[in-house]
Amino acid sequence: MAERATVSFTGSRWRLAGILIFGYILMLPTLGIYRFWQVTAKRRFYWANTEVDGDTLEYTGTAIQLLVGFLFALAIFLPLYGFFFYLSTQSPEALIYGYTGAALLLFFLSGYAIFRARRFRLTRTLWRGIRFHQSGSAWGYAFRRFLWFAVTAATAGLAYPFMAASLWKYRFNNTWYGDRRFSFTGSWRTIAAPYYIVYFLIVGLTVAIIIISAPQMEQELAAQGVSREVLTGYLAMATAFIAFFSYFYLLSRFTSRLLSSVSAGTAALKVHVRARSLFWQYFFYGIMLLVVVLAFLVVAGFVFQGVIEPMLADQEIELNEILQIGWYNLLLLGLLYLALMASLTVLFETILGLGFWRLVARGAVIENADSLKGIRASGEESPLVGEGLADALNVGGY
Amino acid sequence: MQLLGKYYDGLTANPRTVTCSIQGTEASGFLEITDLELNHEVAHWPQGSLFPVPGKSGELRLASTSAPEGARVVFSDREIAARARGELPMLARHRQKHTRRQFRIIGLSSMAIASVVLAYIYGIPLLAGQVVGLIPPEMETRFGEKIVVQMADALEESGGLTLCDPDPESLPNRAIQRFTEAALEGTYAPFDVSVQVVANSIPNAFALPGGRAFYFQGLLDKTETADEFAGVLAHEIGHVVHRDGMKQLIATAGTGLLVGFVLGDITGLSVAGTVGAALINTSFSRDAEREADRFSLAVAQRRAFEPTGLADLLERISDDDASAQIFALLSTHPLTQERRAALEEINPLETAAIPAFSEEEWQAIKSMCSTRGTGKRKNKGRDRR
Repeated sequence: MAERATVSFTGSRWRLAGILIFGYILMLPTLGIYRFWQVTAKRRFYWANTEVDGDTLEYTGTAIQLLVGFLFALAIFLPLYGFFFYLSTQSPEALIYGYTGAALLLFFLSGYAIFRARRFRLTRTLWRGIRFHQSGSAWGYAFRRFLWFAVTAATAGLAYPFMAASLWKYRFNNTWYGDRRFSFTGSWRTIAAPYYIVYFLIVGLTVAIIIISAPQMEQELAAQGVSREVLTGYLAMATAFIAFFSYFYLLSRFTSRLLSSVSAGTAALKVHVRARSLFWQYFFYGIMLLVVVLAFLVVAGFVFQGVIEPMLADQEIELNEILQIGWYNLLLLGLLYLALMASLTVLFETILGLGFWRLVARGAVIENADSLKGIRASGEESPLVGEGLADALNVGGY
Repeated sequence: MQLLGKYYDGLTANPRTVTCSIQGTEASGFLEITDLELNHEVAHWPQGSLFPVPGKSGELRLASTSAPEGARVVFSDREIAARARGELPMLARHRQKHTRRQFRIIGLSSMAIASVVLAYIYGIPLLAGQVVGLIPPEMETRFGEKIVVQMADALEESGGLTLCDPDPESLPNRAIQRFTEAALEGTYAPFDVSVQVVANSIPNAFALPGGRAFYFQGLLDKTETADEFAGVLAHEIGHVVHRDGMKQLIATAGTGLLVGFVLGDITGLSVAGTVGAALINTSFSRDAEREADRFSLAVAQRRAFEPTGLADLLERISDDDASAQIFALLSTHPLTQERRAALEEINPLETAAIPAFSEEEWQAIKSMCSTRGTGKRKNKGRDRR
């Protein structure tokens, strides 16, 4: 019997906002330490509210594990930090080579970190009392990712579908639910059509703009009664329009098609995310962003008028005295800055982060879900060495 | 009492709808779990082994230390969950204990960070002083040379670090050299100290690691008396003797590391990180400046010059240079008034016999940059904006 199971998401934006804001407030007296508890609470919220075929996910990780992971990551970063320090005392050429090399190294390391972080989260995810886990080598993944990015950059983006398919394959062919291995059945063809259509449309339009801007084209166009400026304007507008909307189109197609190529045995995931739903989410986010930034500008204006301007009006006071006497003003400014950063993150998380998760969840079904019932437990929580790296490099995601 | 819930055995991915009943006392009783469909008991967990795990708000998820790791009993219904909580008082105690433990860890690690921050703010001048002692002078000299190249690059627009008078045997250079040697008398500077006047339009003077100090033409133009010149010179030599350039480098590196630790942003590129680091470094370098002033004062007692000249010059620069005021926002130097008070403590003109510079020498120094490289002076007007 082919049974279709659905996925649903029941978490509310307000509840997530509450978790995040509470976390940010506690980060002040704890000098940032609370961030590990905040992340853990956030993950628990996402996991516990995601219901797959009637059973919710459970996140079993703890904040202390993240804290320990961070300390391990520090051990990797300390020598790197020492290297940066040494570099800063070198000649300008050495500086350029050194920083380029370090940037490449960090990019390579972030591949490693992403894979380890994925394992950390998978091995701390329970569904129906059975754990997910991940095989494969993080160095192998980092190496693949690095080479594929190099190839994609060298081919001006033409190799992107091949890279996506290769990396997804590596990730999912190494993903397990209990003793059942996932597989990724897609290939570069999975996303080739949408990707290349958009790619060549934009390249074509750009080439057209370059061609008509050639000096000899002016007369030819004029002979046909077309103004070059107007034509260039139209073409540029069309390019911008396509580039803007193709973002939502591509994001929806990539998400839907790549996730729909994932299966575990005979059970297969099918996801459908609409470009239009994504667009409205970003639209809503844009408006809210505007509101928050304006609100902050107003507050900052009041602070400036109330505190700094009267001091400037007093000619006796030197500028540097304001900062030396009024350190609490500086503190206020710092708090305002932190509050702005926190608000922007909360906005992003509650609208785009949660929105995307919910769209994927609601757009997903599992075909032949009954075949998952015989799966037996296997695997255990991954050790912590190297896990905090993703948080330190800020490539963790959820 | 029968509680309707869901049961996962932790071995196979097979959810069962179950009814649970709580039997006996906390010490010896059990949670009996019965499959609703098959109507037979699938597990019984000792009450003492039960503990809650985090889940959705309102639901109760139970695990047991005597069952497989992933085994769970879940009461999703709010009312049933509340009833189960009432029947199993150890769950609340367990939660309390857990919360207390979390608070303890959060508190301890916050305190650890706070003590690192405090130890850092108060200890870094000491620490940097210790570490600097471990760096061989030759290494610092090499560092210094590379930094000179970097600085010359960075300051290229205002004239770089081109010497005004490259002849070391000229009258002004000899006078500066003599003053430098006199200033170093009785101190231990582990490397050759050289002070050079360079054709750069910014009004500034600084000392770099490795014993290199620079006096900019922009500052020389604003220097009106030999006392002012000698004051700045002695101050910079003070930095060299205290190896402040190197200490500053070490302290900055340490600060970046600390801020990265607190904010979790190891690259230290965020605004909060940059400002925090700047504030900490600022307070550190103010101490170094006070020390250098004190050194200048000591020199003034041996080679007669009016130590308040330094303060006069500083005031003149900050009065008529708006950009200097803006730079002073995050000033690395103590307030001018405060420094003047410290410098006025002693009047060395009464105790010292040998004047710092003769009138002839001072005039030669004053015109060091104008007699040569007139092309540079033309550039100046443009660069000063």
